[in-house]
Amino acid sequence: MRADARLLAALALAAGALLWAVPFAWMAVASLRPGGAGAADLASLLPSGPFDLANFREAWTSGHFPLWYCNTVLLCGGILAVQCVTISLAGYAFARLRFPGRNLVFTAFLLQLMLVPPILIVPNMRTLISLGLYDTLLGVMLPYFASAFGVFLMRQTFRTIPRDYEEAAVLDGATTLQIIFRVLLPLARPGLVAFAIVSVTAHWNEFLWPLMATSSPSNQVLTVGLASFTAGAEAGSEWGVIAAGTFLVAAPLLAGFVLFQRQFVSSFTFSGIK
Amino acid sequence: MRLLHVATIGAAIGFGLFAGAAEAATDIDLFFPVPVQGKLANEMTRLVDVFNKDHPEIKVTAVYTGSYDDTNLKTHAAIQAGKPPAVVIMSANFVREYVINDEIQPLDPLIAKGGQTPGQFMDQFWPALRQNAMDQGHVYGVPFHNSTPLLYYSVDAFKAAGLDPDHPPATWAEWLDAAKKLTKRDGGNTTRWGLMIPGTYDYLGWITSGLAMSNGGQFYNPDYGGEVYYTQPTTIGAVRFLDELVHKAHVMPEGVTDANAVTTAFFQGRTGMMVLSTGSLSFVRDNMKTPYRTAFLPRNLVNAVPIGGASLIIPKGNSPARTEAAWTLVQWLTSPEIAGGWSRFTGYFAPRIAAYDLPAMKTFMSEHPDAKVALDQLAYARGWFATYNVIGVRKALEDGVQAVLSGKATPEAAMAEAQKQADALMRPYVEQTALKLPQ
Repeated sequence: MRADARLLAALALAAGALLWAVPFAWMAVASLRPGGAGAADLASLLPSGPFDLANFREAWTSGHFPLWYCNTVLLCGGILAVQCVTISLAGYAFARLRFPGRNLVFTAFLLQLMLVPPILIVPNMRTLISLGLYDTLLGVMLPYFASAFGVFLMRQTFRTIPRDYEEAAVLDGATTLQIIFRVLLPLARPGLVAFAIVSVTAHWNEFLWPLMATSSPSNQVLTVGLASFTAGAEAGSEWGVIAAGTFLVAAPLLAGFVLFQRQFVSSFTFSGIK
Repeated sequence: MRLLHVATIGAAIGFGLFAGAAEAATDIDLFFPVPVQGKLANEMTRLVDVFNKDHPEIKVTAVYTGSYDDTNLKTHAAIQAGKPPAVVIMSANFVREYVINDEIQPLDPLIAKGGQTPGQFMDQFWPALRQNAMDQGHVYGVPFHNSTPLLYYSVDAFKAAGLDPDHPPATWAEWLDAAKKLTKRDGGNTTRWGLMIPGTYDYLGWITSGLAMSNGGQFYNPDYGGEVYYTQPTTIGAVRFLDELVHKAHVMPEGVTDANAVTTAFFQGRTGMMVLSTGSLSFVRDNMKTPYRTAFLPRNLVNAVPIGGASLIIPKGNSPARTEAAWTLVQWLTSPEIAGGWSRFTGYFAPRIAAYDLPAMKTFMSEHPDAKVALDQLAYARGWFATYNVIGVRKALEDGVQAVLSGKATPEAAMAEAQKQADALMRPYVEQTALKLPQ
């Protein structure tokens, strides 16, 4: 019975994985298939030769990929770096410190998750302009430096760590900051890594806010750049070039996942308590 | 502590590298959407480079701003945040909303400097473009590239179905008949549809308004931004016709078809006819491997199509120097040479009449009869749907038509709901205008 259930679960998961992989497989196949917009076997998932890299060449020369990569990495890295500090400190405060109105403030923090980001575009842009940060990458990052989701995640993670560790550190004469960064954070690594994955993926894929907050071509990120030469409302599209461009945009994240797959998975199951 | 270090370094890089942007007196920005295929973005950048070389006193930065709807969002946000762009290529029917919101000023003073009245200025453009470019006798937008919905059909499919490619359907009756003959079924599977139209936002509203106009309707009040006619017989008839094509005659696929899927199906011979913008002409010409032709949008009662495409606008809040530089750019972009070249590159027709007197354009028109159909249809073109809250009001209709195309609502029920939503969206404006009475 148990073996049967396991087999069933494995089959269901395999089916899910297959379904999830279809768009990626199509993207990979279509990006290598020559023939432009009207190729007869366009919808086919089966690779059929001859293949060439013409679509990649065209995508690469249509845009400024090196610049876009650089901007996107800076954007995601910058956001994540600041977030790590802010969510760790705030998460610690909500998990461990006692202060009046703690629950009220925490609820207010969580309420922020209910806001639909587009309604914040105009107020955020006003702030950026008054700070002189409109059309800068820093301006794109700024609204994300604090993350309600991250604070929530870190608070929950800190709360799973027994207080014994901190008490031991206090006995050894550690300060609060030392406790956070030397004791708690290493133990909270799974939470931090999980958050990093969510944060980087979200900002890597984001389109509307970077489009709104930047103007200069030198500040363009991958998503906006890709759209600038593939999105068209009134006409058809060169599917091969779109697939190649999308592949170029997604490749670093895919490569990152494949390379660090083990860490990703173990980060979710990792636990500081033996 | 390593993490803190990384964080500090990351933040320092972020702060240090990208703070502040220099601004000179004649630096101006041009917001441009890419309404057709992406090669256009590169062509736009090239054009701006040419302009910058010819005008050393002005430095234009071309800023890609997404779709027409995204461009509108970004422009609104930038204006409200106090950083208006100098020039925007704005969907022609959005201009009225900027007038209502007091976000653009008339171009009349700039036109007067050139010794023209607004009327004389607009006489340089095709008459059908006036409706969307002017408001209460003032010029607010300068037409840049414009389009109308066009019927594209495959010559091979027509011949195979026993239809005469020299006589494309001109009425809805002939259209339905042709679509039935073109539809090829293989068991329960349709291998070729008679007709496809894009069912996605922006496109669907535009084509539905075209059908309502060909059904004798106005679709919206061209003189007042607070009224649309979604439940009038002319619109109901148009939506019923779409319903019939999908659910009774089964000559058009059910559901919402993306514009890109429509062209792809046309290239592959999976649809005999399609309705698309004239702005797609160059793209279709470059990618269609078998012969195709274009025809007027068929009529039920009258020949009529809405204008599409975009106008150049100069938002309020720019300094006089920037406005002056912006006007130089607008004039350059709409000059017969540039407008003509852009038209040949994209497929849009050139709004400037004089563009068609240039030798390059004459040669092009004689070589490409499909482009001539688009130009001829201009005689029947009308202003494009323009209201307060225009995108929301349009989406209300599109949600209704999509529900009909998917078989989830009857045309009457869908349009009643669309009208209700549209009225609610226009209510604030109506309260402040038509319903604001002396007490």
